Amino acid sequence: MTGNNTINVAITGVGGQGVLTLAEILAKAALADSLNVRVGEIHGMAQRGGHVVCTVRIGDGARGPIVDSGTADLLVGFEPVETLREIQTVAEDGSVLVSSHIQYPVAVSMGKAEYPSHEEIISSFKKFTTRILEIDAMALAQQAGSSMSVNMVMLGGILGTGITPIQKKTAIDIVRTTFPKKFEGTNVQALELGMKAVEALL
Amino acid sequence: MTKPKELLEDKVGKKSLLLANEAIARGVLEAGVRLVALYPGTPSSEIGNNLTFMAPNIPNFYFEFSANEKVALEVAGAAAVAGVRSMMVCKGPGLNVAADPFFSLTYIGVRAGMVIVVADDPSMWSSQNENDSRYYALMGNMPMVEPADPAEAKSMLIEAYEISEKLELPVLLRTTTRVNHTRAPVEFGKIRERPTTVEFEKDPFRFVPIPSVARKRHPILLETMRKAMEVSETTSLNFTYGEGDLGIITSGVSYNYVLEALESMELSAEVLKLGMTHPVPEGKIGEFLKHHKRVVIVEELEPFLETHARRIAQVNKISVEILGKEQGYFSRAFEYSPRIVITALSRIINRNTSINWEKIDKKTGKLPDLPPRPPLLCAGCPHRATYYAIRTATRGKAIYPSDIGCYTLSIAPPLETADILFDMGSSITTACGIVRVTGQDVVATIGDSTFFASGLPGIANAVYNSHPISLVVLDNRTTAMTGHQPHPGTGVTGMQEQVTPLDIAEVCKGLGVKYVKTIQPFDSMATMVAEVREMVTWVRENQAPAVMVSIEPCALLTAAERQRSGEYPSKYYVDEETCTACKRCLNRLSCPAMYQDPETEKAVIDETLCNLCGTCVSVCPQGAIKQEEV
Repeated sequence: MTGNNTINVAITGVGGQGVLTLAEILAKAALADSLNVRVGEIHGMAQRGGHVVCTVRIGDGARGPIVDSGTADLLVGFEPVETLREIQTVAEDGSVLVSSHIQYPVAVSMGKAEYPSHEEIISSFKKFTTRILEIDAMALAQQAGSSMSVNMVMLGGILGTGITPIQKKTAIDIVRTTFPKKFEGTNVQALELGMKAVEALL
Repeated sequence: MTKPKELLEDKVGKKSLLLANEAIARGVLEAGVRLVALYPGTPSSEIGNNLTFMAPNIPNFYFEFSANEKVALEVAGAAAVAGVRSMMVCKGPGLNVAADPFFSLTYIGVRAGMVIVVADDPSMWSSQNENDSRYYALMGNMPMVEPADPAEAKSMLIEAYEISEKLELPVLLRTTTRVNHTRAPVEFGKIRERPTTVEFEKDPFRFVPIPSVARKRHPILLETMRKAMEVSETTSLNFTYGEGDLGIITSGVSYNYVLEALESMELSAEVLKLGMTHPVPEGKIGEFLKHHKRVVIVEELEPFLETHARRIAQVNKISVEILGKEQGYFSRAFEYSPRIVITALSRIINRNTSINWEKIDKKTGKLPDLPPRPPLLCAGCPHRATYYAIRTATRGKAIYPSDIGCYTLSIAPPLETADILFDMGSSITTACGIVRVTGQDVVATIGDSTFFASGLPGIANAVYNSHPISLVVLDNRTTAMTGHQPHPGTGVTGMQEQVTPLDIAEVCKGLGVKYVKTIQPFDSMATMVAEVREMVTWVRENQAPAVMVSIEPCALLTAAERQRSGEYPSKYYVDEETCTACKRCLNRLSCPAMYQDPETEKAVIDETLCNLCGTCVSVCPQGAIKQEEV
């Protein structure tokens, strides 16, 4: 569980937002820093624009990939409602890093369900933890040069929380070697913006 | 494509972060496997996705995406009979498709190592059932190993080939989703060489199981399984860990949860971890049961090991309390987690869990109802347009048999065009059954990969027996759901060679279908609706099957192609002046790239999500959805 210096991170969002890629980058950086790591992914039917959750566990105690309810040191959410859907994973003293950018579910567009208000979402978070860090990752990604770099903003945000043992330099190195050269500027910029935005909240 | 290239590296000792599926693809090299055949299926898909790009760079290696799992098992089985190491890979339901050759293979055996990788899917993340494939090993008399993590997935694969060659039997390597899709550090080993070709040595009275041969082979198989038991008793794959009064027997991914549970509970126990789970090591389990008063069995799905343990205790008159699913400590449904193991062990030793999960569950239950977000057809998916046309043409009143693939997602409102589904290919055959007893119009849909995998016998059946069904083949030029693998209609092979693709319309004509038409879903919605109507009318009048092939590449392929070329069509937008907020586009299409502006209540296209298909343009009665002028 959270014991034995193991850091549990749960990452959630909408299929297609780059949740899986973020988890892999985070884990690659952990491995490059000689840390034991496990990633839990969901593929296939579970991905197509639906709710996605991925886990990254860093430390010697990590054997399986699962982060149970009440055991996440950090819950990372790419979208407010999707974050709330996984809020039970956060540990009592854990933190939530959430992007405020809304992606409306089709049921809401069709008028068959309502999207909860910002206040309702935040107050629901607070029933589980008071440590809530909110940034607009989409705005920062667009500022960095591409809406596709939301996950790099969130990666920067994770580094900014200081909750994981991952070094910023290692993370940037992994980002540089993983993606084509032409995206490097945008990706690194997005990471920097996300990191600064979170540091400003602490 | 960094990953396949990385998996090819001849760097012994290199540590890389791999999915178990990637580790298995690497293991193919380290085990000297000469031929791999498979049909893709999640959660096993990344094995083939990597092998297909590795294959052209591996000397003396052949890889194919077979037409289906039965074909794959026969191709791979014959290669191992001929005398080279081979592998077949499938998901749980895929092994059902391949069940027929599976049972023959153990009777006749193999000359070189053969491994069948089957990936079960507890919790059904992407499958139609969570059937427990371990019973195939039991019923078919095939030795079985079960890795717990990515590192074991590779090391056990290599060990499985040794076992297979020792026994001259294929070995089943059974994984579950949480093994396949866990990423962990894996160390590279030495790459083993493969033979160029071998000579097929004839031995028909072993390899042709006519009844007189099969009668000889069955006792031989049972005797071989006795030898397999010796392997199971001595192999290092079956080992004990830790010590304590409490005993725990476990296998596969549950082993991790057991260790994490013991650690977090600061509980001591002796754990018997079984890597080889068929045949189970009867002696080893017997000894383990004798040394403990209480033994807990932790395994996902069916009580496979638990039943063995109870049987072994009974046969050997061992007095021990065996605790598991039979008493309700564990469930037979869905995957486990450390929490489930902690909760069960806490009940057994009568103590509270350190985390108050009941309190968390209660809090979670009180959260506001959230808008659901099920998986959907992607923005720009050509199937959305085709289903819209089918539904409009038949006014939602026909019966819509569906099939296995992305397009089953049309089950959701507002498309609602999935009414019955059994398995691969069942759209066509269930349509036949329904039309024979109802008299209703039946419009079935099947994907292009599924068409070649299991659709052909259904078509032959429909033609020969004159079943009046309409079939729409949703041809998106790939096996989309599992990650874009080629199939016989695409023109690319598993070896990445360009070949002549099979033409679905021509195949249907060849099978005797009298009415075959081809449409393009993004051409004109009005035409497409008229075409579907015409087909349904023709079927009614002619009392015979008709086929319409709707061709347009998967939206994800189109998006990737545009990213490569940098050439995009101009954007679509909703003209706020013309939009009357009637919501027809939102209500009829359910495109994830469209939403309602909370203030104006008018439709908006999210240009970060739009894949530029333009289907919404023809759905708007006001002409308010427009494409920017270049």
